[in-house]
Amino acid sequence: MFRILVRRFIEVVIFVLVITFISFLFVRLAPGDPVLSILQVDDVSITNEQVNELREELGFNDPLLVQYGDWFADFIQLDFGNSYLTNQPVMEMIMSGLPATLELAVGALLVIFGIAIPLGSLAALYRGSWIDQISRAVSLLGAAIPSFWLGLLLMDLFAVRWGALPTMGRDGFRSLILPSVTLGLAITSVYVRLLRSSLIDSLSYDFIRAARSRGISEMRIFFAHAFRYSLPPVITVFGISLGSLIGGVVVIEVIFAYPGIGKMVVDSIRSRDYPVIQGYLLVMAIIVFIVNSAVDLSYRYLNPELRLKERKHGKWS
Amino acid sequence: MFRKSKLILIVCLSVFLLAACSTESANDEVEGEKEVNLLFNFATSSLDPNVDTSYVSLRAGITETLVHLNDEDLTIEPWLAKSWDSKDGQLWNFELREGVTFQNGKKMDGKAVKASLERAMKDSPAIKNALRIESIEADGNALTIMTEVPFPEFPSELVHPNTSIIDVKESDYINKPIGTGPFAVSKFMPGTAVDLIRYESYWDGAAKLERARFSFNEDANARSLALESGDADIVFRPEVEGLENLEAIDGVKVESTSTFRVHQMTMNLEREALQDIHVRKAIDALIDRSSIADTILQGHAEVATGPFPSTFSFAPDYPKKENGMEAAKGFLDQAGYKKVDGVMQKDGKPLTFTLLTYSSRADLPLIAQVFQSDAGQLGIDVKIKQIEIPEEYMAANRDWDLTTYSNLTAPRGDAGYYLNATYHPKGALNFSGTDDDHLTSLIDKLNVTVEQDKRSDLAEDIAMYVDGQVYNSFILHPNTLVAYDADRVKNWITSRSEYYMLTNELDVK
Repeated sequence: MFRILVRRFIEVVIFVLVITFISFLFVRLAPGDPVLSILQVDDVSITNEQVNELREELGFNDPLLVQYGDWFADFIQLDFGNSYLTNQPVMEMIMSGLPATLELAVGALLVIFGIAIPLGSLAALYRGSWIDQISRAVSLLGAAIPSFWLGLLLMDLFAVRWGALPTMGRDGFRSLILPSVTLGLAITSVYVRLLRSSLIDSLSYDFIRAARSRGISEMRIFFAHAFRYSLPPVITVFGISLGSLIGGVVVIEVIFAYPGIGKMVVDSIRSRDYPVIQGYLLVMAIIVFIVNSAVDLSYRYLNPELRLKERKHGKWS
Repeated sequence: MFRKSKLILIVCLSVFLLAACSTESANDEVEGEKEVNLLFNFATSSLDPNVDTSYVSLRAGITETLVHLNDEDLTIEPWLAKSWDSKDGQLWNFELREGVTFQNGKKMDGKAVKASLERAMKDSPAIKNALRIESIEADGNALTIMTEVPFPEFPSELVHPNTSIIDVKESDYINKPIGTGPFAVSKFMPGTAVDLIRYESYWDGAAKLERARFSFNEDANARSLALESGDADIVFRPEVEGLENLEAIDGVKVESTSTFRVHQMTMNLEREALQDIHVRKAIDALIDRSSIADTILQGHAEVATGPFPSTFSFAPDYPKKENGMEAAKGFLDQAGYKKVDGVMQKDGKPLTFTLLTYSSRADLPLIAQVFQSDAGQLGIDVKIKQIEIPEEYMAANRDWDLTTYSNLTAPRGDAGYYLNATYHPKGALNFSGTDDDHLTSLIDKLNVTVEQDKRSDLAEDIAMYVDGQVYNSFILHPNTLVAYDADRVKNWITSRSEYYMLTNELDVK
């Protein structure tokens, strides 16, 4: 156990070093100069000398490694710095936006699974039937419609025509419905088709036939065996898409004025607010790391074969 | 198995519901109270008036500045400062308005203003550079400010929203700055909205509205839908394509007001061809301003004759210029260019331009394409290059000839900002590389001229000189569009500066 913990710790340290260095490098090498935004050059009369002075003061003229070293020295003291533009502590900004984004991501996931699980399952069970055709149509539509357009359509229908839901903002549960549905529908298509094909595969295995021959009910076979066996590929894609779900809700956040971190980081990228971009990348990397670790662990729970193989190869000995 | 699945589902649902419920409803509407919801196009995550570049605190009537910009005659006028004067343009005496209190009931006096300005300069390098204050002395309601150098345009810099006066002793600047305006913050939802409540002891008379909401949405279509659904009463910059739909709605009024912004064609004077004034004149003549304003901006723009909108006192009456294809051809002829085999050339060398443009202002790439097409008819090959950040690209690279660029010209009612930034060799926006001794000496003279009338005359001379030299070419002043429910909203004024939005006069029927 101790060895596992030590190994995990070393992995995390290496991961943090690599991710912070690479992200630092990308952010700094990308075109753009935060000094112009800080000095509001399009609003305040500034001379070139003043621009250069501030650049020097902020250390932008130092070699990249020195700049990274300075940032890392602060980082290990858990100081992520302040936004260049608003002077707010970066961690505070991220933590104030993260709950909204997570809310949206969870809402979207509920929509995804609420549609994908029944539709994908029925499409697999009644292959070739009308319900399979519907699932195909839903998938095609979901993949083809741009999410910003879908969002505006839903807004027009539910807010303007029916007046049932608010158009924007984060005013409790009602305001979460439209953005969650928009985001969820945009991603659902992937899961419907994936679950369908994975279930069709599972249902063709020998152990399913064996279960049937033992007289186990179809319902039990489906949920306790086939469904469970078909989940790993779905969860793998889920692990990948959760990262993009959290990071990629920007369009939805903008349309519905939902104050998450996606929108915040786009604003920061636009004004080259390095500390905020840097902090965001790190937090996102950690979230994706945790999610992927959880996905890895879930395989072992969902697929007993893996546990057996690991035991056989002495992985956990 | 079933029990575990259910458990997982219940946990997921609980997390979701908890998360959703954690955001308590921010809409504290009270039945029968007078209130409006204004929907603005820039969001902010901080209300700190000294650093927030969306200027929400000032726009929402939370804070005020010492000096106000009069939107009608575009001159500066007293606000929190009652009067000011200076003999040399360096030592300034300000007299503050009496009887003004912050929203916490404390008195706004010289000491409080000194602390607020010092804090703004400490936290915002832009404001520190803009104000160039060396020292501030406060005595009762009198304020003595010494600038680092003679700085006649100093009072107009105090119009800048980032110089808003707040009570710095109340330190939650981000969520609840305490200003002197007609509305106090009741709740701030970063990135979404700020809820406001009337400040009963406002010095200019309590606001007619009891409550207001200043909300944000960066998507133009969504803003229009919010007005249609009744979620918003006033929306800024609805999308141009949807204006007809909005106007067709009963009671909705769309206002289109010219701004202090100019879309211009910046010329790189370091390029050989552009060093010839006739070539610059040809470019200027080739720009079909009326057609651009009518088609690309659908009429919501004023054709530009110079950098400053014609209503400014320092905008001269420019002499009428020759325009069109024939005029351009004539200028090129004077520059020694001839059209051979459909290609405009001089000494066998074709005339070609690299034209930079960028997409953050959607109309600029379209203007570039119109210019490319018109120049093509004259035998000039124009290569359009899309860039991301124009200020950085133009400063760092000199491999371009022209840029469709957009600039604020007199955001605080004074010409000094634009002329210094754009035409002084030291200016941070002098991308054309203008280094004309006569022009520089005129700008230097403007920088030490204190009297307002003399400043205006001098600024007019400079604008006229720049126009004569065609250092840049001015295309149009884009309008600001505001749509609102005129059946409900009363006393709304679309300010040209876009600084002042929620006022104590704003009302609902």
